[in-house]
Amino acid sequence: METQDTPVTIDRRRLLHAGLGGLGAWLAGRWITAPEARADEANVAPTKPRADACIVLWMNGGPSHVDTFDPKPGTKEAGPFRAIKTRAKGVSICEHLPRVAAEAQRLAILRGMTSREGSHERARQLGHTGHIPNPTVDHPALGAWVSARRGDPKAELPAFVSLGGPSAGGGFFGRAHGPFVVREPGRPPEDMAYGPGVSAARFDRRRAALAMLEDAFEQETQSAAVAERRAVFAQAARMMRSPAAAAFDVSSEPAAVREAYGDTAFGRGCLAARRLVEVGVPFVEVSLDGWDTHEDNFERTKRLMGVLDPAMSALLRDLAERGKLDRTLVVWMGEFGRTPRLNGRGGRDHHPAAWSAVLAGGGVRGGITLGATDAQGEKVVERPVPVADLFATITSALGLDPLETVSSPGGRPITLTDGGQVVREILL
Amino acid sequence: MLRRTSAWVALALLSACSGGGTGGLPSPSATPSAPPNAAAAAPATIEIAQRVDALLDAEWKAAGVSPAKPATDAQFLRRAWLDLVGTLPSPEVVTSFLADPATDKRARAVDALLASPHFAERWAAYWEDVLLRDDVKGNLVDRAAFRAWLRARFAANTPWDHVVRELVGATGKSSPGGPARERRMAAQNAATEAEIDGVNGATNWLVQYRGGVEDLAGATARTFLGVQIQCAQCHDHKTEKWTTTDFRRFAAAFVRTRVKPVDEKEKGMARTFEVEDGKRGRPGKNATDEAREIATLAPAALDGTTLEGEAPRAELAAWITSTTNPWFGQALVNRVWGMLFGHGFVEPVDDLRPSNPPRAKAVLDALTADFVEHGYDLKRLLRTVCATRAYGLAAGPPAAEATFAAFAPRRLPAPVLLDAVLTATRLDPWIEDTLGERADALRAKMRERFRFVFDVDEDGARAEFDGTIPQALLLLNGPLVGYGSTALSGGALADVLGMPGGDAAKIEALYLRTLSRRPTAEEISRWVHFLDEAAAAPEEPVAPPSGPSPLGKIGKKRGWVAKTPRDRAYEDLFWALLDSSEFAFQH
Repeated sequence: METQDTPVTIDRRRLLHAGLGGLGAWLAGRWITAPEARADEANVAPTKPRADACIVLWMNGGPSHVDTFDPKPGTKEAGPFRAIKTRAKGVSICEHLPRVAAEAQRLAILRGMTSREGSHERARQLGHTGHIPNPTVDHPALGAWVSARRGDPKAELPAFVSLGGPSAGGGFFGRAHGPFVVREPGRPPEDMAYGPGVSAARFDRRRAALAMLEDAFEQETQSAAVAERRAVFAQAARMMRSPAAAAFDVSSEPAAVREAYGDTAFGRGCLAARRLVEVGVPFVEVSLDGWDTHEDNFERTKRLMGVLDPAMSALLRDLAERGKLDRTLVVWMGEFGRTPRLNGRGGRDHHPAAWSAVLAGGGVRGGITLGATDAQGEKVVERPVPVADLFATITSALGLDPLETVSSPGGRPITLTDGGQVVREILL
Repeated sequence: MLRRTSAWVALALLSACSGGGTGGLPSPSATPSAPPNAAAAAPATIEIAQRVDALLDAEWKAAGVSPAKPATDAQFLRRAWLDLVGTLPSPEVVTSFLADPATDKRARAVDALLASPHFAERWAAYWEDVLLRDDVKGNLVDRAAFRAWLRARFAANTPWDHVVRELVGATGKSSPGGPARERRMAAQNAATEAEIDGVNGATNWLVQYRGGVEDLAGATARTFLGVQIQCAQCHDHKTEKWTTTDFRRFAAAFVRTRVKPVDEKEKGMARTFEVEDGKRGRPGKNATDEAREIATLAPAALDGTTLEGEAPRAELAAWITSTTNPWFGQALVNRVWGMLFGHGFVEPVDDLRPSNPPRAKAVLDALTADFVEHGYDLKRLLRTVCATRAYGLAAGPPAAEATFAAFAPRRLPAPVLLDAVLTATRLDPWIEDTLGERADALRAKMRERFRFVFDVDEDGARAEFDGTIPQALLLLNGPLVGYGSTALSGGALADVLGMPGGDAAKIEALYLRTLSRRPTAEEISRWVHFLDEAAAAPEEPVAPPSGPSPLGKIGKKRGWVAKTPRDRAYEDLFWALLDSSEFAFQH
């Protein structure tokens, strides 16, 4: 019979103590090799960038933490789900994620995520930009930061791709850094082929004709919006002719590979994400919608985990087997967690106070959990991690400076992350 | 069954009537509602417009900017058409406007547009986008009924305070029911559906927030007052005075509102709800803790006015729209100015907090005072703004845009751009003729696709993706511009190619059709050169354009009339015009 293990967590203070020996060292040593050295490094040394690319698995609607990565079996509201052991010693997750459990040695599960944003829109904004929505500042999404800082303006593919979900926009970096949204993940984007009756040569002639009009209008209006539109058209034309664009299309993958990810939009999205990262796209978001389980929580969450489990596990394994996981940061998260207390319709409501996020790959120490919630999963009782800290950690692993400050169009200084502290305990 | 003539067909006919052009399809809505000479600008509007001019002039002097040169007549006409009725003037309308020597022709054009039924259609579409969330699931909300309700209000120029009272205090049935697909299609297409007896379309605004009193309260304050009270939902506002208690007491005005299903939930059928107020707040068993808390509080307006009578929601509506409410008039004036200039005095347009002060405050104040004084008359406000010197300026240095000393070019909203493409290419009557009944389905599909690709959100609350690569790809390679620019029999280009006259006349016809202006002599000579070169280029293998898209099938039926390389170069020219920024921007 599965039972829940003692919560295995670390926090910064314990790691500090670990350096001095004693109980802390024993606790930390349970699952960290060479705790002393690591503890020093974690607190003193600056983080080295480890990842060239980031794949965000966005659980749209707000996934229930207690039904996924922070199970509370035996409690009154836990429902029918049991916890299972994973390949990471002492770490248990929900029984409906068995394949992810088999990859848990790669995961750092943050069980102390916490925020104050309980509405989808605001929490989605926070979860994509790292900033609380502010009507006067149009914060760029993380992918837009990556695009602005790491994207190659001459690249054939966009630096920020969103598969199946809208994600968030380029903010004050402009639309050129916003996400390239693919409606049907795993399939070639729409309208990539020449239009009716158009050959390559004729397309060139048309673009020359268009350039004549654009030159004149841009000069007349001196409008930055026009210049931006032209840049986007040029990028679209580059992409149309790029062999790398085949990465969007998973149909050329062997059947066994496609099956491993699952025959779902999200599964195809995860496979396409791997292919896109392989051809140099630095930021890909794959969306899985439906986690807003105000009713029929268990049935719906179970079904969603049936989609998530093969896709996420295959992605991690595939990246690892191809030697890409070390340089690719994978993030699993949503807007918030869900209330441990069930409502009258067998559903769980929004719960920003305590939730989970999962990191893996590029620069992340695997096989651990960090932080803990109370017995029900209501409150964070150990090592809370605000969203700003998560963003500081992700950006730092990606080699961006979490403290980089730019001036918004309104002239306000805006830092990449909202004063977040890097969660060094989970980084290598 | 009556064949529905869509708004833009009617509009094309409307413009054809005033120019004596190409009409032919019978349509009841083809008659212009205002006789061309009846409407002269009311002198009172001129007075307030002149006051705005003087105030802006002082702003410009203080800021040390000089205003851009005045817009040309052609620029002004196109601008006013796109803003007020959401589509392009026909070539005939443009040429007769340019030929008109009258000095008050701009004001008369504005009056005629305000009197047109398409004004109501465009503004209903705008407000539907602002008021109804995109993410409302399933068949909960009847967009067609809501749109019909809005359209009737704008057509009658119902005072804005009445409109908001009717919305905030709405009770009654939300939908006539029926197959959901039909209701959705009616809403997607620029429908001519009238309000239905026994249905109060306004209630849909409340229905969408069923069970979410917090969201409803936030939207109410934000949309009608420009107050971002929802920030106080989770924490006391950082920079403003609102506390979580203020927010909750405001929200408490809605707790008695019940949205009760009238029918059984049935797959594929539109839902009908009855919206009414109960005797007391009764949070459902699924209510959030916060909603339960809210239900215990005494409702109050944002200034502390208690709303403890029999009908707190109606009292709230009265408080919102009261002439002493400083936010109400300002919020609408700022939004309307923002719609016409691309940016409001305050940005975002629904965030009027003290720490976000307006630009050109004196102008906002003067317009607001006039708006309140004249009974919240939206058309008067629009007439005034369109009569200001600022609205009649050309584009200029970006630095001048901030104080409205130059017109800031901006992308057209997706539905407007789509209509502009359909109008310029004359794809629409063409689709209508070929498909008849099924035309609605195709249009609905195109709109849905356009909406997704452009995702223009006029409320600015969600992320904006317009101007991104998918949009560029849709315009570069998609069937809409692809077939629209092809010389298919009955289409716009085939007509132009069949015109008597040389290249100059044809090029002019294409410019009038797309850019609503005449080309310059230099432009004509460049294009003649382009056509000559293309005609002399080695001939490529030519295949008639066809494809799996519905437009491709129509094209095949219609027949391709581009016989020569020069004809095909004309297709390229037309394509470039339709894909150009000058076409896709309001400027």
